[in-house]
Amino acid sequence: MESKHKHFKVLTLAGCLWASMASASVFASQLVIMQNEPPRSMDPGNQTATFTGTVLDPMYEGLTRLGDDGKIIPALALSWTADESGLNWTFTLRPNVKFHDGTPFNADAVVANFQRHLNTQRGLAGSGKIRTFIQDVKKKDDLTVTFQLKKINPAFLTVLASGPGLMVSPQADKAGSINNKADGTGPYKLVQYKSGEYVLEQKNPDYWGKSSGPDEIKWTWSSEPSVMNMALQSGQVDIINPVPPQFAGMLKNNANVNLKQSPGAAVFWVDLNTQSKALSDVRVRQALNLATDQQALVKAIMFGYAQPANSALAPVDPNYDKSLHDYPYDLQKAKDLLKAAGYADGFPMSIAVQAPDARTAQVLQGMWSKIGVKLNVRQMESGVWTKAAFADGKEKAAQGTDAVLASWSSGLYGSDLQLRPLYHTSSFAPGGANLGFFSDKQTDDLIDTAASTLDDAKRKDLYFQAQKQISGLAPQVLLFYQDDLYAARKNISGVVMQPGGQIVVRDAVKQ
Amino acid sequence: MKAYVAKKVLSLPLIIFGVSIIVFIAIRALPGDPARLMAGPEAPQEAVDSMRVRLGLDQPLPLQYVKFAAEALHGNLGLSLQSQRPVMTEISERLPYTLSLAALAYLLAIAIGVPAGMTGAIYRQRIPDQIVMVLTIAGASIANFWLALLAMNYFAVELGWLPLLGADSWKNYIMPTVTLAILPMAMIARMTRSSMLDVLSQDYIRTAKAKGLSSASINWKHALRNALIPIVTIVALNFGSLIGGAVVTESVFNWPGIGRLLVDSVRYRDYPVIQGVTLVAVTGVVLMNLLGEVLIGLLNPKIRFD
Repeated sequence: MESKHKHFKVLTLAGCLWASMASASVFASQLVIMQNEPPRSMDPGNQTATFTGTVLDPMYEGLTRLGDDGKIIPALALSWTADESGLNWTFTLRPNVKFHDGTPFNADAVVANFQRHLNTQRGLAGSGKIRTFIQDVKKKDDLTVTFQLKKINPAFLTVLASGPGLMVSPQADKAGSINNKADGTGPYKLVQYKSGEYVLEQKNPDYWGKSSGPDEIKWTWSSEPSVMNMALQSGQVDIINPVPPQFAGMLKNNANVNLKQSPGAAVFWVDLNTQSKALSDVRVRQALNLATDQQALVKAIMFGYAQPANSALAPVDPNYDKSLHDYPYDLQKAKDLLKAAGYADGFPMSIAVQAPDARTAQVLQGMWSKIGVKLNVRQMESGVWTKAAFADGKEKAAQGTDAVLASWSSGLYGSDLQLRPLYHTSSFAPGGANLGFFSDKQTDDLIDTAASTLDDAKRKDLYFQAQKQISGLAPQVLLFYQDDLYAARKNISGVVMQPGGQIVVRDAVKQ
Repeated sequence: MKAYVAKKVLSLPLIIFGVSIIVFIAIRALPGDPARLMAGPEAPQEAVDSMRVRLGLDQPLPLQYVKFAAEALHGNLGLSLQSQRPVMTEISERLPYTLSLAALAYLLAIAIGVPAGMTGAIYRQRIPDQIVMVLTIAGASIANFWLALLAMNYFAVELGWLPLLGADSWKNYIMPTVTLAILPMAMIARMTRSSMLDVLSQDYIRTAKAKGLSSASINWKHALRNALIPIVTIVALNFGSLIGGAVVTESVFNWPGIGRLLVDSVRYRDYPVIQGVTLVAVTGVVLMNLLGEVLIGLLNPKIRFD
């Protein structure tokens, strides 16, 4: 028996060797990546999904680009300047660049790209990000464009580096083919988008810059986490992104695989409906925070691949305040606060959650039962949940929605895009994502002033104050910051992960 | 018979019309706004509204239906909200994958299910029968996505014999076909067994035995042909559940058929694609049922259609 086993192992080893040699010669540099959802469009301006951005990244570029260290670097623009008001910007464009279809890249192309987002008739999915703060874009000469902003946006240069800021061939956009056939200026161009199967990209021989990536990049997808896991283990794919936390431990122990973990930009929290009777009392909201054992939650739900959340901003945000620590796990203090608020025996409340977050809500149900709060978990399919979460005050009251479990990631777009949609009075659902109708004049002022402050240090100070203010008023129960996880076979290197879960593979190396 | 078939064929448009209305209303009754899902939760309301106008979703429902129906009559099922491609193109690219998988699964199910059921009937209450019964109960009860994951882990990951995903070569067909075939195989085996048992106790079989015919000739020629009617019925009527199984199987194996298309489009509330796929599937099921009835008539001229 023993020897038979060994024999078998030798055979499979030989098989593996042969297989890897064969694949090495045929697909020497085809990198295969599997994600958890299909790309939604080949037009970067007509989608808002992180894992679509990942697929499009090798094929498109913006005026700016995010460097590997997270700093903004020039891409299709060589340089830029702003006037004193911070509202008028001038960009000098890179000469001699062509789109994949041969259309020259110039000021006309830039103007066309932004006009399609400023035009409300177009109705592109990503336009919102542009229209909220850009007034107009004009051509000055063939290689110079000027931007006029409606208001100061510290994330302006970052917006230009992704999503609707990426440059598509105006010719392809006009022809209406861009949604299915990617056409940018990037180091890779689209070979084939086989809907339901894969996206195949090939190195662009006419690329203006350098690229050390593989000859081909192939993207596939599966919504089944265990299938992603098996695809990586069997070697049929080189990279899976994202890795669900429940498989992280297993992959970490796999000798053929590297698990990469980086602090994430997504904040998970329970949004409390401040218009519900019990929850309108700040003491009740604070009590719920105190009764939440974040460490246990991270362990039970995220298998340790998350950090307890102490602020409305994520640690990857440059304005994140590490020192906040308002709500340690303290049941006695929680009970005292409830008693003071007139809920000594607790109260019932309901929470709307999407199916993947149901377990988190169940753990909270157990935790909060210790202070007498009876949490009724209402689990929903994502479309149903979106409808319930973004209902206005009247609808929420009618449906009896006291809380919503949600997560929010502003990725690299900065503090304003994290705080304003979630906590500003002007962002009440359904128009914004202030799902619990939190309204505080001081918070509003801090967010507004910070957004129009150009000085980095002053802005940071204002955001610290805003975080403190929000934390004290507890419009939410903060849960955790989820780590971003991806996994790659051992022979893969050079993959960069940006905060927000986007991986950059255009310079990946497969040995 | 001819009149009956003609009547059935003529009622087909009516059925499809009815189904199209039900599907049209049902998917719009689902909460979830396609424009909001595409623009993302952080998009300003203004941007979502302008998207809704572009997608034509701001118009009254009856008007949307009339537009859809008028276009559908001309063979145009509209554009996918997500990909902006004609729904007909999306479906026609994917349908061959689903049909070939379904056909292979049915062939496999019949090729194994019928002999297994016959074995059970011939060796009634003995060991072979009990083995067949245990296997059919297991086959009918196992969730096929679970079986699929198990098979993938063993044959693709552990042994590395078969490719895990995709539809590139004939090897890719093996696991999805077997997974999809298990349930109909079990049902066909059980149906064959009970139907054969009925027939085997008939007088003419005893006569055949008395005449001294070989048991092979009795079982295959005399018994099976008469036992076939319920089998054909179940094969034809279960085409719908086979399509249902394909939805799950295709999703697990990354099979680029219409099942996976349906799952993806439900997630993004891609109304035109959901409508198109459902209509195509319904038409297929109705046609299969009709085909089953015609076959039964051919197999047993005694059955009359009025």
